[in-house]
Amino acid sequence: MSARPITTVKTVVTGIEEAGAGVKLFTLADPDRWELPPFKPGAHIDLHLPNGLVRTYSLCNEPAENTRYAIAVKREADGRGGSRALHDEIGIGDVIGVSLPRGGIEPQAHIARYVFLAGGIGVTPFLSMARHLERTQQAEFTLHLIVREEVPLAAQLGSLVEQGRIIVHRTSRTGRPDLAALVGEGGSETVVACCGPESMIESFERVTAAWPAASVHIERFTAPSPVIDPDAKPFTLSLARSGAEIHVRAGQTILAALQEGGIDVAASCCGGICGACKVGWIEGQPVHRDRILSPYERERYLMVCVAGSDAERLVLDL
Amino acid sequence: MLDTMSAGPAQGAAQLGWTGVVRFLHLAPRAFLPMRAAETLTLVAGKGIEGDRYMIGKEEGFYSHKPEEGRQVTLFELETLVALKRDAGIELGPEEHRRNVTVEGVPLNHLVGRRFWLGETLLEATRLSVPCRHIEEITGKAIFDPLINRSGLNCKILRGGIVRVGDIVRNAA
Ligand code: FES
Repeated sequence: MSARPITTVKTVVTGIEEAGAGVKLFTLADPDRWELPPFKPGAHIDLHLPNGLVRTYSLCNEPAENTRYAIAVKREADGRGGSRALHDEIGIGDVIGVSLPRGGIEPQAHIARYVFLAGGIGVTPFLSMARHLERTQQAEFTLHLIVREEVPLAAQLGSLVEQGRIIVHRTSRTGRPDLAALVGEGGSETVVACCGPESMIESFERVTAAWPAASVHIERFTAPSPVIDPDAKPFTLSLARSGAEIHVRAGQTILAALQEGGIDVAASCCGGICGACKVGWIEGQPVHRDRILSPYERERYLMVCVAGSDAERLVLDL
Repeated sequence: MLDTMSAGPAQGAAQLGWTGVVRFLHLAPRAFLPMRAAETLTLVAGKGIEGDRYMIGKEEGFYSHKPEEGRQVTLFELETLVALKRDAGIELGPEEHRRNVTVEGVPLNHLVGRRFWLGETLLEATRLSVPCRHIEEITGKAIFDPLINRSGLNCKILRGGIVRVGDIVRNAA
């Protein structure tokens, strides 16, 4: 039992495979091999690494495999440290907390053709999609993989390369391919998607600029920031009793900011109805979004799971 | 005045007026994992359900940082699932509400503070469950609001045993 709420899915590392070009393939599973929370093709998860880093990786197995998450990680020596930690420190049996899967493309019945453009390790988000489409035969697809020389995940891609579903372009031999020629004609029955280095994404955006937005999909290596209310602003909490200052990011709840700051507050419903997380406030302009406090109580209390602040500073009785 | 029920005919009606049935059983060993359907659950008196995330002493549930004696087993009304579909157009499966036992014909909201039989096991209802935002994240469905005040019942296990789908639920006098 922990004193903090459990906020991640507990997984253990059950497999680590070398997959070429500095890439390792990690398999994560529930400690009892229970089914894991489901995901859409192309979805990603956050890994909460033992050293405190949180990193996002695409799931590259098929959604129908519901008892494991497979991620492919390229060791980036000059990266921010997540891939190095995974490559150098993580072993079989290690426990890693992960987020619920997010994103991905729900294959739609009216889409007849998918064209995926991947640069190097950018192939990972398309792998689960390709496998899913291969099995369900729901639509045509071609995956253009652009690499300098060595193909990452060669063993995993092998059969799809043989079938001609994956076409490898080696820039060291043939130069950069013409993206416009690869994506071909647009249309409401076609979806094109791209994942790769920023320069590749830029040319892709140019090539598809005139396409309908619903037909174009882009995956960036850096996780897109979560969708937050455009009007949300960051603010600072001052804790009157302890003297601590805690920063609340735009769109973050006060509860989450307090928990991140190591302050234990009770919470239950996280939706402003149960009353568990009531905290006194002393100064500021709280925005109450709960459904239990009376106008009179709101003069002195707020519910930290849903309340916000209209002023830059909010002083709490903590 | 409002802390006791009258001793008149209404009391007898509340006690005698229903017999329910266990329709679905579910459990999960850890927070966020999909609930798995089971034909039977083993209830351990004073502790919880074997293999479930809220078994006392082995907690790995979303609320396990706040141990609660009265949350050894949780129940949910099948009627709520039917009402969600009928009134809000939301299809919620019995594996999605994250309570262990889905019953039909049992007025859960009336049972707080009472004892009742769930098959061969004896339960005491401790409090109503409260919906939790995190269920919207798991199911991807906007069910927090529609579940307010009908999110099920938390119970303590007074007498353990095996509960099966189809078991009878009835008041303990
Ligand atoms: S946690 Fe329930 S009101 Fe805040």
